[in-house]
Amino acid sequence: MNFQKKLAANDFVLLAEMHTPKGINISRLVNDARRIKGRVDAVVVPDMDNGIMRMSALAGCVLMKQDGLETIMHMYCRDRNRMALQGDALAAHVLGCHNIIVANSADMSQSDHSDAKPIDDLDETQLITTLKSLEKGKDMSGFELDGSPDFTIGCTIPGFADADSADKELATARKKIDAGASFVITPSVFDIEDSSDFLGKASELGVPIISTVFLIKSLAIAQYIKNSEPEANISEDLIRRIRKSSDREQEGIQIAGETIAALKDRTQGVLIQTLGWEHKIPEILDAAGL
Amino acid sequence: MITAERKPLEELIDYVKPFKRILLLGCNECVTVCAAGGRKEVGLLASGLQMALLKSGSNIEIKQHTLERQCDPEYVEELVPMIDGSEAILSMACGCGVQQLATRFKDKPVFPALNTQFMGASERQGVWAERCQGCGDCVLGITGGICPIARCAKQLMNGPCGGSTGGKCEVSEDVDCVWQLIWDRLKSLGQEDRYVDIMPAKDWRSGGGSGPRKIIREDLAE
Repeated sequence: MNFQKKLAANDFVLLAEMHTPKGINISRLVNDARRIKGRVDAVVVPDMDNGIMRMSALAGCVLMKQDGLETIMHMYCRDRNRMALQGDALAAHVLGCHNIIVANSADMSQSDHSDAKPIDDLDETQLITTLKSLEKGKDMSGFELDGSPDFTIGCTIPGFADADSADKELATARKKIDAGASFVITPSVFDIEDSSDFLGKASELGVPIISTVFLIKSLAIAQYIKNSEPEANISEDLIRRIRKSSDREQEGIQIAGETIAALKDRTQGVLIQTLGWEHKIPEILDAAGL
Repeated sequence: MITAERKPLEELIDYVKPFKRILLLGCNECVTVCAAGGRKEVGLLASGLQMALLKSGSNIEIKQHTLERQCDPEYVEELVPMIDGSEAILSMACGCGVQQLATRFKDKPVFPALNTQFMGASERQGVWAERCQGCGDCVLGITGGICPIARCAKQLMNGPCGGSTGGKCEVSEDVDCVWQLIWDRLKSLGQEDRYVDIMPAKDWRSGGGSGPRKIIREDLAE
């Protein structure tokens, strides 16, 4: 059953994020993807996530597809205007990439090309509206398309600082759902109990909620997230667990696996995010018992 | 100067019709010079609004006032004694002035009466043209005092595109090709050598690419 059908059937979906290379060496991407073929429902391919210039998500998705993996392509508005976005969406459909996440993008000032001119011609809600318009056979200017695409479109909820911000982000997600998003990717979940309030509220959005599970690669990263993103709710217990471990790398994998297992009954899916450690995804799946 | 044009009357009526008493506020700076929001335009708009509302059977009290500068908190403070008498403010300043009012008077609805346009210069009586986009890294010293950022439709930095014909831009025959102007100017100054220097990709951070800009003069800031 493909991703779209699983969502519709309320089945649990398992997604893994894989970044394209900064360059043309695709061997790592292809090898990592092959190792999880059949173990995840789809590979999520970010575009220039975190503002890092790299090979486009569309090319990454096509590579995955050639290897028989279903893909979900990131699209966002920082780097392309409405014409380029529509053109890429049509190209994606033709190339067999029918699943799209309209994602938040890091500000250009945070990118590795901070002197570039940000585009931001559309915002994310408008992009979703545009994709839905393409599905109905019209471009943004109202011109008829010669053949219309169809997509499964999701949106993201970025990290938030407090309950008030969470409500604001949920209200924004509501707008994106009204515009046409049919699933939502949440920020990283580190503490299941602490996240339960938010996940409960998110479930009221009425579309499948897919939680992000982020691989903590080291004690330093755990401490960095705890200090710089207090909303991420990395507990002292978690920090202590990693610190005391004789194999911190393995401990991070174990924690990610346990988190996935615990989320299985609470959300409709999980997105595994490893930011460069995609080769560890099979071990995370092992730890999750999947 | 910052140029502006008045919004359509219908839009302004929609803004003010829920209120019985409004303050219609002009600005004595740029929008006076471009005849969009000075004392004279305040009077004209007040009459227009009152007539239109009367026709539709409603009545509104419009207090008229014009500040020296709406973008300056020192002048905005002048409004304190008169603000309570009005339920809302209709500002005829540029967007900077409107926001200054909204920041100062947090419990008053503030509406813009103008559409702020661009930083421009007067070409002749009644004609203003865009001259500057505030990119924060002025290239006029290299381009003969003529700006390709504000005056080239594509913001090209190294000469004209293929749409430059007979000194005109492909966007409209009313628009000069700025690179023709720059070329002519550099030639007349004997500075053609400047034209061949390749201008590198622009750093847009200074032009707002990194978010809203702010200038802090440590020697002046309180």
